[in-house]
This record gives sequence, C-alpha cells and structure tokens, in this order.
Amino acid sequence: MLLKLNAKRVSMRMKKLLFVSVITSYLIAVNVNAAEQDFQFHGFIAQGLIDVNGSDLVNDDSALSPKLTEIGLNGSYQLSDNLRLAGQVVYLNGGNRYEEGIRVDYALLDWSAYDSLNWQTNLYFGRFKNNHWLYSSSRDIPFARPSIILPQSIYFDGFRDFAIGADGAAIKIRHHNDDFGNFDFNFTYGTSPVSDKQTELLLSDFAQGKAKQDSDMQVSLYWQPSFSAWKFGTSYLDSDFSYQRNDSDDMFFDADFSFQSYTLNALYEGEYWEFSSEVSQSNFRTKGFYLPQYDQTPISQGIYVQSRYKVTNELTLLARYEHFYNDKSDKKGKKLTEQTDGKIPAYFGYHRDTTFGLSYELTNNLRLRFEYHWVEGAGRLSSLVMPKPDVNDKSNWQLWAIQLMYWF
Amino acid sequence: MDVIVHPSVNDVEITTSQLRRIYTMRQTLWSDGHRITVFVLPRKHALHLRFSKERLQMFPYQLERIWHKLTYSGLGVAPITMNTPKELLDAVRVTPGSIGYVESLKNEEASNVVKIKR
Repeated sequence: MLLKLNAKRVSMRMKKLLFVSVITSYLIAVNVNAAEQDFQFHGFIAQGLIDVNGSDLVNDDSALSPKLTEIGLNGSYQLSDNLRLAGQVVYLNGGNRYEEGIRVDYALLDWSAYDSLNWQTNLYFGRFKNNHWLYSSSRDIPFARPSIILPQSIYFDGFRDFAIGADGAAIKIRHHNDDFGNFDFNFTYGTSPVSDKQTELLLSDFAQGKAKQDSDMQVSLYWQPSFSAWKFGTSYLDSDFSYQRNDSDDMFFDADFSFQSYTLNALYEGEYWEFSSEVSQSNFRTKGFYLPQYDQTPISQGIYVQSRYKVTNELTLLARYEHFYNDKSDKKGKKLTEQTDGKIPAYFGYHRDTTFGLSYELTNNLRLRFEYHWVEGAGRLSSLVMPKPDVNDKSNWQLWAIQLMYWF
Repeated sequence: MDVIVHPSVNDVEITTSQLRRIYTMRQTLWSDGHRITVFVLPRKHALHLRFSKERLQMFPYQLERIWHKLTYSGLGVAPITMNTPKELLDAVRVTPGSIGYVESLKNEEASNVVKIKR
C-alpha cells in the first residue's frame, strides 16, 4: 500500500516536471520567435540537495533533503512608450525555510513618468518587488544571488515573503551626473498577505489566531561614483503587524508587532575580486502576545562581509562571515536564558555563520553551485518569538548544499 | 569595433558615459524622444566581451547583473540578445531607434556608425 502511494506520488511529481518542461520549452520558443521587442519572456529552474546537521533550518530530522527547488517564469509587455506590464510567478520549496508553493513574485504596471538624458522616474503599481538591499531583488533568483543560502542576518528566510515585496505602489528615481556618478532613490509602500503557514513560521506552531501586516514602508538611496568600481547604499524599513487571537483555542493574546530597520551597504566589483558588506540595526517591538501587558523592544544588529574571487571565466570562489544578535544589550544570550528560567539556551540570542562556496558555469545558462556553512547559534531559526530548543539542541551546526540552475 | 544605430537615430555622436547609460538601461530615450532598443551578443561572445571592456569600460559580469536585476525583479527590461553578429546587424537595420555593435561596418547600408567621444 505504502509502495503504491509512493509510486503515485513519484508519478505525480514526474507529471509536474513534464508539465513544467513543456511550458518552459514553449516559452523558450516564444522568446526566440518574439522578434518584436514589446514582448519578453524569461525564466529559471533550479534544483539542489541540502544537508543540515544540528538544526531544523530545512527539516526536523537532519536528513539529506531535495527541498531546494526554485522555478520562475516572467513576462514583460510594453503597452506604449511609457507604460509596461510585467509579472513573475515562482514555485519554491525550501523545507522549513519558507512556505512551499507557487506565489506571484510581482505583477505590476510600470509607468515611466519622466524620462530625460539624465533622469528617469518610474512608478510601479500592483505587486512590486523590493530592491532596497544589495540582494533583495535577486534573493529568490538562484543564479543572480551570490550563494544558495544568503546571509540570514539581513536576508532572514523567515521574513522572506514580507521582505520580498508588497501589494501597493513604488517609485524609483534614477539620476546621472557626469561628475558625481549615478544616484538611485527607491520608495515603496504596501502590505503583504500573511498565510497560516507564515504565521506558524514567524510566531509559533501554537499560534491559532490570525496575523496581518498593517503597513510596510521602505526607502533606499544608492550612489555609484562616476566610472567607479564601488557602490554605496543605505535603507530604512518601517513595518507593522498585528495578531488577533483565536478566542476559542489560543495560548497567546492579541498583539501588535512593530519593526524598524536601518541598513548600510558597500559593494566593490573588480575584474577578479569582489567585495560586499551590509550592516543593519533593527528594533522589534512586541506588545502583548505572550501576556496582555507584555511590551519589549529589543534592538538587534547584524553584519556580513563577503568576498568573491573569479579564478577563471567559469569558476568563482566565495568566502563570507556574518554575525548577528537579537538584542544588542544581550549579545551572548545570557539575559535570554535568565528571563526564561533556563528554558531557552543562550545560543538562541545570536547567529554566526562562516561560509565557503564555489560556483562553476557549465554553459552560458547552466551553473552548478556548492557551499558549506559553519554556524554557531540559533538566533536566525524560525520561529522567532517561540524558539524550539527541543529540536535545535545544539549551539554549533553545519550545512552543505549543492544546486544546479538553468535560466533563459 | 563599431557602434551602430538604425538610420532613424539622429544622435551621430555620443559619449562613453552615455553609451554606458544606454547599455545599463539608465537612458531609454534618444535626444529626440524616441525609445532606444538595445541589442547585444550572447554573454560569452568574444565581441561582446571586448565591447563591454573597451567601449563601456565595464566587466561583462557587471552588465549581466544589472540586466538580471531588471529582468527578474520587474523593474525594467534588459537588452535583446541576438545569437550572431550577422543577426545583430540585421536586427539593427530593421528596428527604428536601435543600437548595437559589429566588428566593423563595411559599406553596409541601412545602419549608421556612431562616433564615441571619450
């Protein structure tokens, strides 16, 4: 019986894969044939293996997992000289990292409101994708981001679906000056729906009520000096969530969560060497939830430094170190343990990750990537407000991952 | 190497900085207000690599990142990739407002060479 069920599941997976390949081939054909420039279609498919030892980042039993699937298809249609429609659908499976399934990454109307030789102003309406941090717009594009798992201090997977974009409006202003270089200003405002699975990932398996994002405002500014290999950026984020308890069966109380974050970043792109770094400080206020009168605002801080070296045209090496703590007045988590009568170990207060990786280009559109992470601490594992020390019972844990990615 | 445009384009002389803006999609209109269509060769084509380094003074991977960001974030569109220099030349010939590059343009009609000011 079990065999039969498994066989059925495999056959359904095969059908799914077949369906995806047929659609992909069709879209490639459309892409080639669309000589007219008004239509553009692109996409990607990536599959990998990930093995985490000592934490529930991907699964609860630390087994080798194929839950590293990312598929995306997008289209862009130029309606007129200054109006364009664009959309992208992605399918993701990252195990416990985020909710498995299909989502609309973006679906927007792009209005090129003002365009001159030195200025470009675009307004986006609908579901837009954020591009405030160095890799925020490429975090779910396997071949466009620097590693399989991004530095969790900034690109925390538990926040992925809120950080990636929102339903609302965005503005991008680009300016060029021959003496001072390029300036990019971005402003976005909107909200994202919160599913039950996201509530579970963010809050707890036991949260039976409804979580809602009330608002999300983000702003960023980038500067690249004229003909420079350096680029500098800064951003600010302000987001509010609320939680309404399920009166019939809920161990938690109504709550308001408020999140503000500031980041600074720098990027250097040389011929062989590349360097990037981002630092962030965030206030995360929780009012209620654990108890009606609960009100605390820990200030977290995080930083990563990353370097990449192009050994040949095909081979690139990566090295990165990141450090994050949930409360800057409790960097080692001692207070956290004391306040919870020892129920939550100190290592839930921080996260340190040393990563080495390599990526190899097999062809123009096919890349293989491998990486190894040595992690200390459980400060960046879901769920944030209700840690799981029974599953994550080790302060040091490791992971390796390999992923093959194709794009067109 | 010659940078070529469709004869409908009035700009006969552009700066390296402007060429760079056009190829990084930061300038989308010609000076007369017509939309620019940008053509490129595949990312590892020898002529594309030379064009990127010599004319744009950028590393090819930098261009690629900018284009990926535009394409996969919905922020904009990337240049259109043609498979061979011949296809690229043909595309520029038939597309008003377009720009591309060739090894050298020998008495070809229906496309113009643009002078690049340093």
